[in-house]
Amino acid sequence: MATKHAPLSPRLSIYRWLPGMIASIAHRGSGIVLVLSVPCYLWILHGMTGSPQDFDATVAMLHSPLGRLSLWVASLALIYHFCNGIRFLCLDAGWGESRMMMRSSAWLVMAIAMLFGVALGVVLW
Amino acid sequence: MSKMLQIEIYRYDPEKDAEPYMQAFEVPLEKMGMKLLDVLNYIKWHLDGTLTYRRSCGEGVCGSDGMNINGVNGLACITAIEGLKQPIKVRPLPSMEVIRDLVVDTTHFFDQYRQIKPWLQSKQPTPEHERLQTPDERAELDGSYECIMCGCCTTSCPSWWWNGDRFMGPAVLLQADRWIKDSRDEATGERLDQLEDAFKLYRCHQIMNCMEACPKGLNPTAAINHIKRTLLNRKS
Repeated sequence: MATKHAPLSPRLSIYRWLPGMIASIAHRGSGIVLVLSVPCYLWILHGMTGSPQDFDATVAMLHSPLGRLSLWVASLALIYHFCNGIRFLCLDAGWGESRMMMRSSAWLVMAIAMLFGVALGVVLW
Repeated sequence: MSKMLQIEIYRYDPEKDAEPYMQAFEVPLEKMGMKLLDVLNYIKWHLDGTLTYRRSCGEGVCGSDGMNINGVNGLACITAIEGLKQPIKVRPLPSMEVIRDLVVDTTHFFDQYRQIKPWLQSKQPTPEHERLQTPDERAELDGSYECIMCGCCTTSCPSWWWNGDRFMGPAVLLQADRWIKDSRDEATGERLDQLEDAFKLYRCHQIMNCMEACPKGLNPTAAINHIKRTLLNRKS
């Protein structure tokens, strides 16, 4: 009998999303958002400096729902990446390495980011 | 009539099945404190003798019956049925080649283990009596000597799923840390040299699935961080 290639057992599609995994993947995700937002905001800044008309148009664009949403997403990514970055630095230094602390610090940074997101949403709208 | 348990199990027989599938079973709740392994044994002995899985000691020491239980890895023999959401979904350890049903090919996993030379290395002549440690030196090994190499942590790690060919994975790194910390071992430098690599060690992104999966309550993420700090201390 010809030997078939053995199937790979399922992984990402079936694994339960635990707080540590959400926190780590959100850290990668927010990092990507932050990197991409740098050229975006430089481009917006560049758009403001051409003429008074360009300035007004850019400000209007930033005040549009889409402009506010982009500001909200970038700010949320910044605050999350900042908080979780400090959490990772602490873990690197050996602080909060118990199983309980690893779990609760993941919840803590996600809660801070969520509260910040709600507060910023209220301010922006 | 006793209460019935609903369970779905990953099935794959290379000689019959083109693709793996999930099969549902109903098992009577026979006794209080029933473990998942008891349910698998009931199916094998009374319902379907072809169900294939590994088990040996039945008490969380041998590390044979690691599997994915409702989305998180654990040992079937020490996982209580009580508290598991039904239907209980049982699958083989993730990201492994399936030999049959819940039995996976662990060749690569144990090959990675062999690579870190998991034995005491000493240049001293073999002493007549045991190699002594102080109680403090011995206490350093708490939290790593308990590992039974069941593979629950390594196969829970997304970094190992994507880069398992080069990333050593949490179980092997926990064991590496165990030998790095051992006061009797004299190959600490070589051990650290081997691990100082962007893939072997530094693919760990503190996802912590390993810590959540470990059926012995150990913390491979902390062990990996300890190796990183030991490397840093060696440099400074």
